[in-house]
Amino acid sequence: MNRLDYLVLIATILAIPLYGLWRTRGSASLKQYLKGDASIQWATIGLSVLATQAGPITFLSMPGQAYESGIGFIQNYFGQPLALIVVCAVFVPIYQRLKVYTAYQYLGKRFDRKTQLLGAFLFLVQRGIAAGITIYAPAIVLSALVGWRLDLTIWLAGGLVIIYTVVGGTKIVSITQRYQMIVILVGMAIAFAVAVYRLSPDLSFEHTLSVAGKMGKLEAVDFSVDPHKRYTFWSGLIGGFFLALSYFGADQSQVQRYLAGGSLKESRLGLLFNAAVKVPLQFFILLLGAIVFMFYQFEKPPVYFNQPAYQRAMQNGYAPQLAALQTQFDDVFMQKRAAIRAISSASSADSSNERDAAMTTLRELETRARELRDRTKEVLQQAGVGPKSKESDYVFITFILQQMPHGLVGLLIAVILCATMSATAATLNALGSTTAIDFYRPLIRPNASDHHYVVAAKALTAAWGLIAIGVASFASLVENLIEAGNILGSVFYGSILGLFLAAFFIRRVTGSAVFFAAVLAQSLVFVLFATTNIGYLWYNFIGCAAVLVLATLLQQTIFRGTEAHAAA
Amino acid sequence: MNIGESNSDARSWRKAYGLALSIFAMEVVLLYLFTVRFS
Repeated sequence: MNRLDYLVLIATILAIPLYGLWRTRGSASLKQYLKGDASIQWATIGLSVLATQAGPITFLSMPGQAYESGIGFIQNYFGQPLALIVVCAVFVPIYQRLKVYTAYQYLGKRFDRKTQLLGAFLFLVQRGIAAGITIYAPAIVLSALVGWRLDLTIWLAGGLVIIYTVVGGTKIVSITQRYQMIVILVGMAIAFAVAVYRLSPDLSFEHTLSVAGKMGKLEAVDFSVDPHKRYTFWSGLIGGFFLALSYFGADQSQVQRYLAGGSLKESRLGLLFNAAVKVPLQFFILLLGAIVFMFYQFEKPPVYFNQPAYQRAMQNGYAPQLAALQTQFDDVFMQKRAAIRAISSASSADSSNERDAAMTTLRELETRARELRDRTKEVLQQAGVGPKSKESDYVFITFILQQMPHGLVGLLIAVILCATMSATAATLNALGSTTAIDFYRPLIRPNASDHHYVVAAKALTAAWGLIAIGVASFASLVENLIEAGNILGSVFYGSILGLFLAAFFIRRVTGSAVFFAAVLAQSLVFVLFATTNIGYLWYNFIGCAAVLVLATLLQQTIFRGTEAHAAA
Repeated sequence: MNIGESNSDARSWRKAYGLALSIFAMEVVLLYLFTVRFS
């Protein structure tokens, strides 16, 4: 990175919060602080919802995911448009009519205090940890590759967010997310264009996609019914539906975004905008990863993208083993390049036999290259420098730093930091609001003034920010960053969604039955998570279904006869 | 229909949901054709 990159980076990440602070100057009532005001329209809500979900992991890890495993991850989003329609039709009108600040207040109104607290507690645990991951994920990668200090990177991203979120509340989160998302979309569009431009002139774009497809990178839809496959049409549609329904319907970090406008119409339009654009947006981000993969079929990639870890292993006395692996990898790379050129020549000459033979050779060489990367990782682990995140997380950022022109490098690092800030701001805003409204106000100071609760919400938002930075400072990830966030969500979301669906659709069920059903369902999901290896999206369905079935059973057995009391 | 929502509003929203569903169905079909074309 040079001075131009730093100029673009600093100007981008500072200008948006400063503009937000100017727009939200002056004091706010509790309602304005937690729900924004009527000036927030559907476009801002739509971009804000999009930015809250995206986060840095989407832009850092997802191209790497496609580089490694292809674009099949897109199927995880297939349930989302359906879920958003259900949220528009069922959840939003109820929240708007009851004028709640948090989704869990609705559980308190429908059932009882303990069920409200359980829903809020599950949200706080899950989101409190997730906020730490959101800050840690880009910080570990940026600090390793750009050379920034990890603790300073965490404090830079986290500290700025805490300041403006505490000061401006929901309105500043919505305003800043709108412009941060615009920067993100423009930055990723430019990155896509540059990546396509940098592809080898030896192959046309269509031939490039054909080769990527033959190498298994472009299988977007897989109708397999194997439950052990992580990404299929069915797991995405069914498991993804329950994940998205819980996330958009019952996760305060999203609920607070679409209730910000104050009108049913603006909330619904913002959500339907997401239903339409989410799948294409994710497709282009994944396709960018596949294009980067094809770029590195002609431009020699490092045997291991996490170069700082690789260099430490070299210094720790493992240079001979790593050099031998690098030599073999370089040899395989040259053979792969020759095979791709053979495919191109055979395609031009319309010789299908030669093309198929070259394709078979290419696949074998790709398997060999993968084995060499795995062996390099083993050597790194023997050297005691086992990386804290998956290698694929370093692919896209390496491409940015090494292949993009100056200025654009700064813009794309700003994209990752903007995504970090927007997702973290929404989460801290929701954590502070939920703690203030669902715990502090009813349990600690029930009859204080409006101003007192605004101050309490600000203090609690700041406290959650410091907790998130604490989690980020001590975090050590074991799997791909994108997976860590989704797995964490899936473990908790099923039970939370079950609470809400029971509230909406099972008229005779009471608070105690649904409370104990949710506790049992959450325990069941923990046991399954620890003892089985089923695709994690299914936890959303299992947790939710368990709450609904157990609540009905408990209501008809242990809590039989309490319906009349509850109704009264 | 939700309280406070007129019949014509409810009809308009049902059309909007239908449009969103149609867009999603079209996206899946295009992704499937993309898979078939390049795999």
